[in-house]
Amino acid sequence: MTGIFAWKIGLATMVIGMIVGYLGQRSRFCTISGIRDFFLVKDSYRLKGLIGIVIGGVIGFALVNKLGGTLSSFTKPGGWQFMPMLKDGLNVTPSILIPLSAVGAFFMAYFSVMAEGCPFRQHVMAGEGRLSGIIYITGLVLGVVFFDVVIVPYLQLLTLRFPT
Amino acid sequence: MEQANITPNVKPPRWKPSFRLSGNMALITGITMGLLAAVVQGYFGLQPPAGDGICGISHPANLVNWLVNNIFGTKFTIHSIFVTVPVLTSVGFIIGSFIAAVKNKEFKLRRGPVRDNVLAFILGFLIINFGLLWGSCPIRTAILSSYGMFFAILMLGMIVLGVVVACLYIKWKVRRAQ
Repeated sequence: MTGIFAWKIGLATMVIGMIVGYLGQRSRFCTISGIRDFFLVKDSYRLKGLIGIVIGGVIGFALVNKLGGTLSSFTKPGGWQFMPMLKDGLNVTPSILIPLSAVGAFFMAYFSVMAEGCPFRQHVMAGEGRLSGIIYITGLVLGVVFFDVVIVPYLQLLTLRFPT
Repeated sequence: MEQANITPNVKPPRWKPSFRLSGNMALITGITMGLLAAVVQGYFGLQPPAGDGICGISHPANLVNWLVNNIFGTKFTIHSIFVTVPVLTSVGFIIGSFIAAVKNKEFKLRRGPVRDNVLAFILGFLIINFGLLWGSCPIRTAILSSYGMFFAILMLGMIVLGVVVACLYIKWKVRRAQ
């Protein structure tokens, strides 16, 4: 995929990011704080945002599917091959993938509570001029490189040891 | 004496979309996110992988990997749809938030909720590494759940569990300090 079509996707992601970033700043939207606030003080304001994603997604995907948009594997139940962690060349057996993903999701949420916001909220806080958000993004960028250089080779060893 | 019929020429106010903080603003933001994720996948061809319209973990990772690959010639893995073009969602988040903050006179360089800068850096570092193990942020997990992926619903449960355990730890720490 090259040329105008590829840049259409790049531009679309930028525009969507800006719309969502604008709304996120105005609404103080945060998925992690939504669950936290509800658990600690029974405040459901931000939790409604997380519920809203599911509602919007269900309506949106159903409409797009009905109106002839192309959605891969939408009618099939989600198979292992569509799981997010599976990047190119990383196909481990579900018995390894499920615990790895569960550990990842659990600790991402745990540390996000300590950081007082989900990754999206940290981006929004960086845009608002909050120093901790800006530093968090720096850590995030270096963390990506660390993951690629150190963690991915170990995951690829798992791929060789436990192929699908 | 006849009184002049003076009716002031008052025009009805023009309707403007309101972005003030209201009770349902977070809900509206969430619904917008879900709808946009569906539209961008269905009509802009943002797939595979499925349900990848908005993400605070995989999109920054893809952008960083794309930049590093293009600058240093490495071969870090990128979602196949973003191999030729960078995904700019995370840049859009920051720009959109900056515009909203400036427009509403809320932009100010100040300390964030995490007071210790080193801790903020370490948290960002840890969260992206654990997040990449699962491969998506809570927003994309919710989008994938709405897409019908059972596994994502399980992982949403793990995210809720992670938040609950962290809250219990904070409560325990506060009680211990008293």
